[in-house]
Amino acid sequence: MTPILEIKKLYKSFGGLEALKDITFNIGRGEIIGLIGPNGAGKTTLFNCVAGIEKPTGGQIIFTNGGRTISMGGKKPEAVTALGIARTFQNIRLFDNLTVIDNVKIGRHCRTKSTFFGAVIRHRFQQAEEKMIAESANQFLEFVGLKGRGQEIASSMPYGDQRRLEIARALATEPHLLMLDEPAAGMNPQESRDLMDLIRRIRDKGLTVLLIEHDMKVVMGVCERVVVINHGEWLAEGLPQDVQNNPKVIEAYLGTGAADAA
Amino acid sequence: MAKFVPPSLTFGAKIRIGLLVFVLILPFLPFMTDYLLHIAILIFLYMILALGLNIVPGFNGLLDLGYVGFYGIGAYTSGLLTYHFGLSYWVIIPLAFINGAIWGILLGAPTLRLTGDYFAIVTFGFSELVVLFLTNEIWLTRGPLGLPGIDVVSIDLTLFGGPKWEFVGELPYYYLAIVMVLATVFVMYRIQDSRLGRAWFAIRDDEVAAVSCGIKLLAYKVIAFAISAAFGAVGGSFFARWMTFLSPDMFKFWESFLILCMIVLGGMGNIWGVMIGAVILVSLSEILREVLPLLGLPVEGRFLAFGLIMVLMMRYRPAGMMPIAAVAAQMRAGRMKRRKTKPAAGIKK
Repeated sequence: MTPILEIKKLYKSFGGLEALKDITFNIGRGEIIGLIGPNGAGKTTLFNCVAGIEKPTGGQIIFTNGGRTISMGGKKPEAVTALGIARTFQNIRLFDNLTVIDNVKIGRHCRTKSTFFGAVIRHRFQQAEEKMIAESANQFLEFVGLKGRGQEIASSMPYGDQRRLEIARALATEPHLLMLDEPAAGMNPQESRDLMDLIRRIRDKGLTVLLIEHDMKVVMGVCERVVVINHGEWLAEGLPQDVQNNPKVIEAYLGTGAADAA
Repeated sequence: MAKFVPPSLTFGAKIRIGLLVFVLILPFLPFMTDYLLHIAILIFLYMILALGLNIVPGFNGLLDLGYVGFYGIGAYTSGLLTYHFGLSYWVIIPLAFINGAIWGILLGAPTLRLTGDYFAIVTFGFSELVVLFLTNEIWLTRGPLGLPGIDVVSIDLTLFGGPKWEFVGELPYYYLAIVMVLATVFVMYRIQDSRLGRAWFAIRDDEVAAVSCGIKLLAYKVIAFAISAAFGAVGGSFFARWMTFLSPDMFKFWESFLILCMIVLGGMGNIWGVMIGAVILVSLSEILREVLPLLGLPVEGRFLAFGLIMVLMMRYRPAGMMPIAAVAAQMRAGRMKRRKTKPAAGIKK
């Protein structure tokens, strides 16, 4: 089976700084794959390249879906979303001053059509669409466990709930590949367990999940495969347990000498 | 959106109906003079303009200093079409709306990639350009001589064998203005609670997140700018047929500033707040026009008073009299940023 996302010899440099050097790996359909590495390894840069926020300086990102193969390098972020790749952000980026339900409704934007005349005239198509938007937004809220909290203001919710709302908003764009940037950051153990459960349920819906995570419990608990990068370079790849015991990975995280000690 | 409706809906509805009734019977109250009626129409006109402008800074969070350019375009569209072709006002309204929107797109499409202050400067330049065009293209606009003798609004039913009724005096314009304000408010409320409105609010709150939800930033900003411009032009088309005289100096930058003040004073993004801002500033302007000469000061001094009001607002109520959460939060964030003396990178206006 063709992988849903192929990253081939990806380079990204900011001026003289090479943030990504020759990164190559594949993401299979329906996988939960973890992207780990020490701080500053280039994980978020890689996300931004896939999401279209950064333009890669070299290499290819190939997204295959429904028999269509699309080269993603340099596509605009809104086009990437429309193709079926959604993301969350390392520092939560909700629409803070809007209600929870509006946040998710905005996620429906790229799958709906009405515009100015629809808004003013409210013809039958627009009404049906609004109703559909509201219904599906509520379904996504229920899916992430925020049922009945649609009228709260997003920024007033506890941290863990904001993370889940961000996931709901990403899901509302109907992605095939969901990219989560440190979803467990700042969560307590119970919230982390709920999150792992949520990630598995997302996969069971047929989505592919790529996550950056520092919390090793989450990575070990939920990921089926792990890719490690360090200083912008591919370092290791494999099953979570194998990667965990890989001397090179331990060295990258803990410094030279630590591998010998272990 | 629920938060714009007054807390108790029945109470809010009562207030709204009460206000409407008051406004409808106002001309027949004993103390009303033609002068007061004139001011009331002016207030309604500025309500339309302020509601139109509100789309850009209020709904999208972009600073627009050139709104009066579209107002001028609308006024001259209306004036010239009447002057040369004798078109009916009811035909002119949609034409002015479309012409305003076209110019909004022409200006917005290339410039809305700019952020914050840079965009504001471009809009400012545009409004100056409009004034210069109106002043110098004498073959079209008669330049500084102005465009006199524009027909009044009329309802012409002669085609169907009915009478022709011309709008003489202030009273018919008063009711026409009310209808136009109501229509504008209606459109604004509907937009606010729609896919389009939500996309705008998303852009206002966080552009990166908006993009990652699939919102085309430039396209939606251009739509906002075009609709805003269209309402400015409709306001101008009314102004032309009401005043029956136009001259380029009616569309100077100060008008933009005044309309922007209304929005800031009332509360950016809040439909009610913006209308109240229009009431306060138009009334204040007229009061100062009477009072300042008595004190031996020039009439233009009233802009100093507006400036003072803006300074005081920024100090004590930066998000306006009727703030909405989004703007209030932005103002707080801005103040915190300054306090931390962080570099001003990535300012989100």
